[in-house]
Amino acid sequence: MDTLFLEFFQNTGFYLCDYRNIIMILIGIVFIYLGIAKDYEPLLLVPIGFGMLVGNIPIFTGLGLGIYENNSVLHYLYFGVTQGIYPPLIFLGIGAMTDFSTLLARPVLMLLGAAAQAGIFITFLGALALGFAPNEASSIGIIGGADGPTAIFLTAKLAPHLIGPIAVAAYSYMALVPVIQPPIMRLLTTRKERLIRMEEPRQVTKREKMIFPIVAFLLCCFLAPAALPLLGMLCFGNVLKEAVVTERLAVTARTAMIDTATILLGVTVGASTQGDVFLVPSSVGIFVLGAVSFCIATASGLIFAKIMNLFLKSKINPLLGAAGVSAVPDSARVVQMVGQREDPTNFLLMHAMAPNVSGVIGSAIAAGVLWSLMA
Amino acid sequence: MYGIEAINANNGWAISVVGITIVFTGLVVLSFVISQLHKVMDLFENPRKIKGWFIGEQKAAEEGEISESPPFTLTEEQKEITKQFALLARTMEEHFSLPRLLHLSQISGVKNPHSNLNILLKSAIIFPDGEGFFCWDQNLYTKIISQ
Repeated sequence: MDTLFLEFFQNTGFYLCDYRNIIMILIGIVFIYLGIAKDYEPLLLVPIGFGMLVGNIPIFTGLGLGIYENNSVLHYLYFGVTQGIYPPLIFLGIGAMTDFSTLLARPVLMLLGAAAQAGIFITFLGALALGFAPNEASSIGIIGGADGPTAIFLTAKLAPHLIGPIAVAAYSYMALVPVIQPPIMRLLTTRKERLIRMEEPRQVTKREKMIFPIVAFLLCCFLAPAALPLLGMLCFGNVLKEAVVTERLAVTARTAMIDTATILLGVTVGASTQGDVFLVPSSVGIFVLGAVSFCIATASGLIFAKIMNLFLKSKINPLLGAAGVSAVPDSARVVQMVGQREDPTNFLLMHAMAPNVSGVIGSAIAAGVLWSLMA
Repeated sequence: MYGIEAINANNGWAISVVGITIVFTGLVVLSFVISQLHKVMDLFENPRKIKGWFIGEQKAAEEGEISESPPFTLTEEQKEITKQFALLARTMEEHFSLPRLLHLSQISGVKNPHSNLNILLKSAIIFPDGEGFFCWDQNLYTKIISQ
């Protein structure tokens, strides 16, 4: 009987536990705390945080429980991440809930979304310089797009072994948008610039909104066909929304479907961060480079907005440049918050949504370009 | 391999330049196309304008092909009330219900909501979409208000 107890004890988490599991469990608890108590991207941080707890329960290898064990339930669910299935489904939902009106009303703001993608390529160079392989460097650089699904999609294609740290870094920085962006915004703009009021946008017709996703899809995918899975679903979701007659499908895409994909993606990405796999020196490098990438992306958007102001008759508030990163709608909200701190009657949210949604398109094109250049 | 040497060895500079150029080109072209979209839509909705290009707008007008509707004039007070309606209309969907707009104007304290709404309908600033709802013509509104 003693032997049975001993054998059982040797199979328990208490016996198999490693300090790395404890660290990851603590990080998971912090994620859940930040999500619930601080309201930092709760829809992402809570599933990822709980996934970290799931993935770091020490288990006896061979029982078919771990995410990296063939035929385990988690392994099957993780298939959606490794094969890049969940990100396009999330993009479908994003498309079905995005209103491109402000972008259509003032298309020039789209350039801010393009400028912010500079962070991706500058970080790509930084990652190469730090000794990462080109495919790994591309996956790290895309963190600067501040677009979790895009980062996961590209990493699944180019560097699947880095999905855990890259996904966690991407979602962490997305959640920390209200913390990371404001200091950079204040540093790179003057008070006078932050007080600039935007012109009221023109009213956009229903027909324009209907045609936009089709034109955008055709143009962008002819230019960068590798962006097809992400942009295709984004634009398709938007067509469902704007077509009105397909409202039922649009509702499913922006509620049940995106929620299901987010839950599965969040939990499995969290569960993939097993201490022994996640706590390696390269993860530290990924987190540092991810933060750099995000800061450069924010700064690029701001600086580009200031450059645009040199040529535009009707000046734009340079804070909008920070919304060029595609953390929708968080970075647009941060722009509104920083702008209102200077002038409570200045409403920038609506205008900031334009670079914000163009950032989503821009990061999907950037992912497509990197994929096609690395494949 | 680290540093500049690693970047050079992996063709990093070229990849970055090509990458950012493609992203920029894509979004610049898309931005240009969508900036022209409403003009194309306008032509699609008013094919007479295309004819005007070829035979001259004046001649087309003489032929009665281009007929600008006579501008609807509002008093200063009516203009103020129309601006209030414009703000209310902005809070609604593009295709909105007229009773709902009327209700909003009543609870917002707009003066003589029934008769002023009637003026907006007569001026065609608010027009029926043919499916039981109504739309707000922002261009006409701007034109009439700026008179």
